[in-house]
Amino acid sequence: MKTDIMNHESEMLYAGHNACPGCGAALAVRYLTRALGPDLALVLTASCWSIITGMPPLTALKCPILHCPFPSAGSVGSGVRRGLNAKGQYDTTVVVLAGDGGTFDIGLQALSGAAQRNEDYMFVCYDNEAYMNTGMQTSSATPFGARTATAPYPLFKEGQKKDIMQIMAAHSIPYAATATVAFPEDMERKLKKAREIRGFRFIHILSPCPPGWGTESSDTIHLSRQAVATGFFPLYEIINGVSWKMTCQPEGKRLPLKEYLSGQRRFKQMEDVRIEALQEEVDHDWEVLLKRIEASK
Amino acid sequence: MLPEIVKEQVSYACGTEPCTVNKTGEWRFLTPGKAERPSPCNQGCLLDGEIPAWLEAVKLERWEEAWQIMSRRNPFPALTGYVCFHPCTENCNRGQLDRDIEIPAVEKAIGQWRLDHYKPKVKALTAKGRVAIVGSGPAGMSCAYYLNEAGYEVTVFEREKVIGGMFTLGIPEYRLPRRVLKKELDLLESEGIKFRTGCNIGSDIRLSELYAEFDEVFLASGAWKPRRAGISGEDSSGAWNALDFLKAVNSSSSPAIADPVVVIGGGNAAVDSARSALRLNGVNHVTLIYRRSRAEMPAGQVEVEAAEHEGVELICNALPREIEEDGQAVKSILLDHCKTSLEGLAIDRSRAFSKTCGTVIMALGQERDYTLFDTLEKSSVLFAGGDLISGPATVPEAINAGRNAAMAIMAKIEGLPGPGLPAAEQSPVKFEELNLGAKMNLQLQDVQADPSAEASRCLGCGTCNTCGICYLFCPDMAVDVVDGRYEFNLDYCKGCGICFKECPSRALAMEGGR
Repeated sequence: MKTDIMNHESEMLYAGHNACPGCGAALAVRYLTRALGPDLALVLTASCWSIITGMPPLTALKCPILHCPFPSAGSVGSGVRRGLNAKGQYDTTVVVLAGDGGTFDIGLQALSGAAQRNEDYMFVCYDNEAYMNTGMQTSSATPFGARTATAPYPLFKEGQKKDIMQIMAAHSIPYAATATVAFPEDMERKLKKAREIRGFRFIHILSPCPPGWGTESSDTIHLSRQAVATGFFPLYEIINGVSWKMTCQPEGKRLPLKEYLSGQRRFKQMEDVRIEALQEEVDHDWEVLLKRIEASK
Repeated sequence: MLPEIVKEQVSYACGTEPCTVNKTGEWRFLTPGKAERPSPCNQGCLLDGEIPAWLEAVKLERWEEAWQIMSRRNPFPALTGYVCFHPCTENCNRGQLDRDIEIPAVEKAIGQWRLDHYKPKVKALTAKGRVAIVGSGPAGMSCAYYLNEAGYEVTVFEREKVIGGMFTLGIPEYRLPRRVLKKELDLLESEGIKFRTGCNIGSDIRLSELYAEFDEVFLASGAWKPRRAGISGEDSSGAWNALDFLKAVNSSSSPAIADPVVVIGGGNAAVDSARSALRLNGVNHVTLIYRRSRAEMPAGQVEVEAAEHEGVELICNALPREIEEDGQAVKSILLDHCKTSLEGLAIDRSRAFSKTCGTVIMALGQERDYTLFDTLEKSSVLFAGGDLISGPATVPEAINAGRNAAMAIMAKIEGLPGPGLPAAEQSPVKFEELNLGAKMNLQLQDVQADPSAEASRCLGCGTCNTCGICYLFCPDMAVDVVDGRYEFNLDYCKGCGICFKECPSRALAMEGGR
C-alpha cells in the first residue's frame, strides 16, 4: 500500500461511532484525523458528524472536539486558533469540520470572513450534497436534477451546484483543494501539504451518503471513484487562488456522467434532457478547469 | 456507573470516553467473511500448489510460513523451480495488466531459503512403521519425504549407483544445476532417510523379501524401457537411445559421439538430448527430427525455442525409414516425408530424403516395465506410482503421486481414512471479475527486484493477499490488523459491504443476517 499508516494505533477514529453503514463522512474524517493527528483541535458545527461522534461522555475521535452553532464555524475556528496561540500552542493544528450546509449556505458568511482575514487554520467541508442529518433537504451543494425531501418527485433541484472552490479561490487563500474518499492517498497528501502552510486553507471532500443518495451502502467508494472518473468531481488544488493543478485523474477518457447517476435513487426519474443538461454543465466546468490549469502553468 | 470496558480504554480527549462501548455490530444486516476461490495459476498447477498463498507469505517476507505452505504439496521447490514447465504462469491474470508473475523465481527462492535454513529435527525414538521405497526418483523422493516427516522409518532402494533417478540421470545439468540437486539430496539423507544404491529389486533382492521385511512397500521404479523404432541399423554402435545417452552425459562420463548428431523424437527427452549433445566437445551440428508438425510437439515450447536459439536444426514432418551404416559406423539416415491426417500419419515415400550423420539418438518415448511385478508371489494391496504407473510424465505429477502414496500408506498403517477424492472444482477467478477499480490504491507498477517484490505483484485472484483494501476503506474501524493480516471485528461491523465490493481479489463474501 502507498499509505504508510496501516494499523489501529495511528488511527484517530474509534470503532463504535454512530455513522450509518457505508458512511463517506466517517471515512473522510478517519483519513483527515490520521493524516493531521494527533496534535489536533477540531471545531465541529452542526452536521452529521455531531451525531456520528455521539453524546458525551462518549467520543468517536482521539482529539478534542469543540461543538459550535451552525453559522459560526468560521468564527469559532478563528477564536480557537488565537486562543491556542495566546497559550503558546502554535503547533496544534486547528481544523474546522463542517458539512455542506455549514459551508455552502448557513456557514458561508463566517467562512468568507475568516478566509478574507486569512486566519491560520484549516476549514474542511465534507460534502454529502444535502442536509442529510436533518432529513435530506436541499442545500446549495445539491447537484442539479437530484430529488430531496424538499424537492420530491415531480420536483427536482433546480439551478446548479454552488462552485465553492471558485468562491474560495476568489478569496486568494494560500491553499484550497478537492478530495474524495476513494483516493485516501491523494487526500492525505493534500492534508499534510495544507498542514505545513500558514494562513487559511480549505479542503472540499466529496463524501457519498448511502441513505441520502439512495445507494447501496457498499457503493460508497465506487461512487466516489465514479465521480472523479466522470469529471463530476475533479481532484485538484489551488495555490494562492491563481495556480490551479490537477492532482489525481484516472487514465483514459472521462466516463459518461450517466454511469455515475444511474446507481443513485436521487437521480432515478431524471429525464434524458436533464441528464444531458447536467452532462453539458460538467463538460463546461471541465473545460474551464483545464483552461485554468493551462493558464497557471 | 460506566461499564467496565470503558475504564480499560485510554482516553485521549479531555473528559470523554471512547465510543467503543457502542457495539455497533448489533446493527449488522449482512456479515462479511472470507470466501476463497481457486486462482487460474492453481488450476494450471499439476500439484494444486496453493500458489497465491505462498506468494502472499513471500510478499510479507515470512519465509518459514511460505515453506510450510509450499511443502504441504511440494517438498522440492528448489528443484521444481528449475524443471517444472510452470503451466501456472500460462493463465496468470496479472499478464492482462502488464506481465505474468514470475512464479518460478519465487518458487526457487523458497526452495533456496529451505536449503539455506534447514535444521535437522529431533526424531521420535520409535518409528510409526517401516516403509521400503523402490526407486529414488521424484515420486520415490516425495513419498520418502512425507513418510519421514510423519515419523516413519524409510529405506529407499535404487538400482543405479547414484540417487535421484530422473532428477540425476535424466534431466541435464543446464536445466537443473547439480549443486542445488546435491544439496536437496544431502538434505533428504541428513533427515534420516536411508538410501541403498546399486540394489536391483528382482535380481539382488526379491520383491517378496521386501514385503516380508517392511510394513509397506511403494514401487516407483519409473519408465526407463526405451520404445524401439523397429528400423534397420537401430542397433549399430553410433545409434543411442535417449535415456542411455542422457544417463551417460549426466554421469559425467562424456560419451564419445561422432558429429553430426541427429535426434529423433519430439518429446522432452528428445529436446534434452539435442541440447545436451550440442554441449559435448566435438559436436558442431545437431538436428532434431519430429514426425508431426511443430505445434504438435509434446515437449515444452520454451525448451524447443531454447534449443532452436542455441542452434539445433529442427525438421518436422519427417519419419526415419532406415539408418544407413558404413561398416559399423552410422553414415546417414533415410527419412520419409509425412504429415498428420485423420487416419493417422500419412507417409509419403516419394518425398524421401537422406541426412548425413555420425550419431543417431532415438527418443521415441519410454515404456513402463512391469517385470518387477512378475516376482510378486502373493496378491495384495500394492502401492505404486510415478512414471511406473502413469507412463512418462512430468516431475510435478510424479511428486504428486509420491505424496498421494505416502498419505495412503500412512492411512493404511494407522487405520485412518485414506486421501479422499478431490473436491469438486470451482471455476477460477477471471480477470474481468477482479476489482481493479481499486487499482489507484494499489501498487500495481511493474517492478521486478527481489522475490518478495515480485510476489507482491500477485493480484491474489480468489485468495486474500493482504493488500489491505478492506482495512483502508472500512468506515467503522471494524477490520483489525492481527499479526500483519486483516481480520473482521464483528463487534463493530455494520455490514455495509464496502470491503466485499472493493476487495481486488474477490476473496470475500457477504452473508445475510448477523
